[in-house]
Amino acid sequence: MEGTVIRSGSAGSEEDGTEVESFQFGEEIQGLMSVPPESGSSFTALLGLPATQAMELLHSPESDEAPATLSGEARVDQCQKPYLPSFNCSPSFPSNAALVERAARFSIFAGGSGEDSPDTNSMPSNSSRVKNEPMDTDSNPTTPPPLISDPTVGNRNLKSAKRKEREKKVKGPSKKNKNVASESSEDAEKLPYVHVRARRGQATDSHSLAERARREKINARMKLLQELVPGCNRISGTALVLDEIINHVQSLQRQVEFLSMRLAAVNPRIDFNLDSLLAAESGSLMDSSMFTPLVWPEVQVNGNRQQYQQQWQYDAYNQPVWGREEDNHNFITPENSLLSYDSSANSGTSSLRVNLLKMEL
Amino acid sequence: MGAPTSLKQKFLKKWIMGLQICGSSKKEMGILERKKAIKLAADVAMASTRTATTCWSRALIANASKCDENKMLVEHIMGSSQSERLSVKSACMGCNKRIRSKKILGRSKSISRVKKIAPQKILANSIAKRLVKKRTQVLKSLVPGGESMDEFSLIEETLDYILSLRTQVSVMRRLANATEHSNRK
Repeated sequence: MEGTVIRSGSAGSEEDGTEVESFQFGEEIQGLMSVPPESGSSFTALLGLPATQAMELLHSPESDEAPATLSGEARVDQCQKPYLPSFNCSPSFPSNAALVERAARFSIFAGGSGEDSPDTNSMPSNSSRVKNEPMDTDSNPTTPPPLISDPTVGNRNLKSAKRKEREKKVKGPSKKNKNVASESSEDAEKLPYVHVRARRGQATDSHSLAERARREKINARMKLLQELVPGCNRISGTALVLDEIINHVQSLQRQVEFLSMRLAAVNPRIDFNLDSLLAAESGSLMDSSMFTPLVWPEVQVNGNRQQYQQQWQYDAYNQPVWGREEDNHNFITPENSLLSYDSSANSGTSSLRVNLLKMEL
Repeated sequence: MGAPTSLKQKFLKKWIMGLQICGSSKKEMGILERKKAIKLAADVAMASTRTATTCWSRALIANASKCDENKMLVEHIMGSSQSERLSVKSACMGCNKRIRSKKILGRSKSISRVKKIAPQKILANSIAKRLVKKRTQVLKSLVPGGESMDEFSLIEETLDYILSLRTQVSVMRRLANATEHSNRK
């Protein structure tokens, strides 16, 4: 169950990625910005998780080594832990002292509480090692089947010995994301802090940790930006990505300027033939992407644009953008559109064309 | 585009409203004036679809309302209730001071801290930091209201701003194409 919960979490974050590609991002960004993210599956939600939902899960590494049945049972047992009352973990803390002390050398977290919603299980979607150490502490006093409690007691000693090596091996190269932990069961709900695990070989004072948390937040946002700006995926390095973003924003602003100049040039007075244009305005913006007959007037529009925009410098950038937008519902290359425009320029179906164009708007 | 079409429609409606106001004025406008009016109407319409949720929209509208002649247009597009909400500029001012004091505090802390890094890395780090800093300065100048933001919110604002710019460009382009085509016919 735990594995599936984690998998759904990572699938959720992947979904976010594809949504970004399909440009439904606008509304999502609005939602993201106006409402604090609540779903534990999006990775941006990771950054905004309140401490009340915070819980650090320690995945028991010994489940790999222990016999299959035992590991299965231990995992099932761990899955049941979230629902156990929290006060049960306090009597188990003294027995954990050695473990906690050793853990404190590597990280700043203390043993967590055993109670929380399963939502947080899905939270660290990127971290491969999700440990369940506090879960094990709960298992002793509260687990009904004695079969499990004994092996877990035995396991803990094994764990304390073996975790050291494994953490050394894995923690060095692996990158730890921010894991949110609660210090004890009583303080879990009230802590306003976000706990970050220190990486091996790095300073553990609060300044550098806070800095690192901040940097990771910024890096996650930069990744979002990279997905948004076309052609930024391959680039690594903040300065270059920022360069691309700046270029993109500048080009968009320049396009707005040119387009408003075009509009000013088209009308001697600022009046638009609104009754015809607005006739189907409410439905048109949606229709244009759904109606196949509109493929044809799109052709006209494309051909139009070709002729006009040879004078403008930003054509080279526009065409791929335009093509990409329209590609969803008509696969017309610029050459195609130009040819078909020429061929149909003399046709007598002008009224039909205009009507469809108005609907397009 | 399923979801953003509602955004496009909202933007288009507000923009056309603003343009109607511009067009109803009797004076003769040169092409540059027309262009400015069109662009202003478009920008304000775009910002008003995002009002009170993003900083750049507020800053854009505040800038637009600075000159009196634009003010009427802005208010009409926004609707009177929203423009009153936006006239609380003091929030932005307090925001500025808070961020400035945070930066001073952060800088004073970092001075006292000592980090052990190899000397080559220090050079590389400082160069990289300088580059990034220059770029963020440029980005701040591009995004409206960007100067008063810290790095993190700057990135969020840029995200939103890029999206709105995109919809703005696509709607304007369609209108331009449609009017040109209908004119030619």
